[in-house]
Amino acid sequence: MSRELFDGRAVIEFDNEHDRRSFLKYAALVGVGGALVASGTSALAAASPSPSATPAARGSSQFGAGDVGILNYALTLEYLEAEFYQKGLAANILGDDAKYVTPVAAHEAAHVQAITATLQKLGATPATKPTFKFPDTTFTDKATFLKTAVTFEETGVKAYHGQITLIKDAAILGAAASIAGVESRHAAVLNYLAQMPPVPNPVEQHATMDETLTAIKPFLGA
Amino acid sequence: MMKYILNRRSFMGRTAVGTGAVIGGGTAIELLSSTRAWAAAEGTDGDILNFALTLEYLEATFYQQGNAANVIVDAREKDIFATIQKDEEAHVTALTETLNKLGVAPVAKPTVTFPSGTFATRASYLKLALVFENTGVGAYLGQAGSITNKDILQAAAGIFGIEARHAALIGVISGAAPEGGIYKGATETAIAKGDVLAAVMPFLGGMPNTGFAPAPQSATNLLPIGLAVGGAAAALVAFRTRGARGERA
Repeated sequence: MSRELFDGRAVIEFDNEHDRRSFLKYAALVGVGGALVASGTSALAAASPSPSATPAARGSSQFGAGDVGILNYALTLEYLEAEFYQKGLAANILGDDAKYVTPVAAHEAAHVQAITATLQKLGATPATKPTFKFPDTTFTDKATFLKTAVTFEETGVKAYHGQITLIKDAAILGAAASIAGVESRHAAVLNYLAQMPPVPNPVEQHATMDETLTAIKPFLGA
Repeated sequence: MMKYILNRRSFMGRTAVGTGAVIGGGTAIELLSSTRAWAAAEGTDGDILNFALTLEYLEATFYQQGNAANVIVDAREKDIFATIQKDEEAHVTALTETLNKLGVAPVAKPTVTFPSGTFATRASYLKLALVFENTGVGAYLGQAGSITNKDILQAAAGIFGIEARHAALIGVISGAAPEGGIYKGATETAIAKGDVLAAVMPFLGGMPNTGFAPAPQSATNLLPIGLAVGGAAAALVAFRTRGARGERA
């Protein structure tokens, strides 16, 4: 199943290879990969989902094609973040920093609800919440919790940016972008709290579905 | 030369290009239905990049002057502000080079002036920084639906996310309330171009080569022409931007 963009036509055509290289040069400058220049970017594999496998094992094909697939992918990430923060706050290990994390937990829960409602509006079936697992000290050691939070937020930011140009519906694109910006705020604050560089790049990076699933694989499955 | 053969109709969905029509809300995320300010196509990608470049020039100049004033003394905060300045300078460079590659003349650096005392204290510096960053976030989001080239969309979104990081960090350093100060809810709110221009125009002495209208001086003049044609669109913008404008007051 190949996922076609813009009716399968390339967004940009170049008269010659030099133009293409020039474009890629500036594209690299602003943090854009070359993959998007090609037509018919194949974001989704053809394998049929295996219901018994974990989301990571099933790969990106589990989410289906098109905007619905992207929304279900985003929903899976938001499920993970929502559960993580809910458990982290319940563990009561954050001290004064809890005030910065409480809104983050609320945002992630709101993202789950909003994406679920959108999928239902589209007549699609929202992905079910996977079973998550977290390393033993995640909710007992503040530093471990914050470090894990940074991982999730940076993964989330890259995941949304990896889908921005693949979303077909303008309203869904706007919604996804408006969520991505919030994830960027979260990433900055969590990095700050974890004593890590809060703005590691001058532009946000992006990741494919498969790269993201690999990153969250340790947290998936009972 | 490269040619753009984007199928804009499929990208923009039900939006008529350049007429200020409102994107249909049938598939909109319920929670987000009030946050989409991209009701109108607001120019070509070149126009949008020049609009962004103007804002980045403003921000870069702001941090150059502010950081030179040495009112941020904490080592970690200084480091963050140095990073933010570098980011804004990188955005100026990237946008300029992108415009050059597109064959569109980049807007010249505007003359920028800040109210006296802006850099006199840490508090006044932080206060305006927070306004600029949140305005930048809304400005980029407001243009997202109008960008036709996918790579430019990717790049603009990438810059947008960084402005959101800056806004959050300045919120933290300012001691702002977590919700409403550091964060602006579960979704970002877009700001239409006309409202962004109205907000930044007091700081700009001139915007040569942009083709932008001069600073709107009255509230009735705040909407971009494209939006003024539709009552519904105008109402949508007024609704969406109320919070942002109140904040600047």
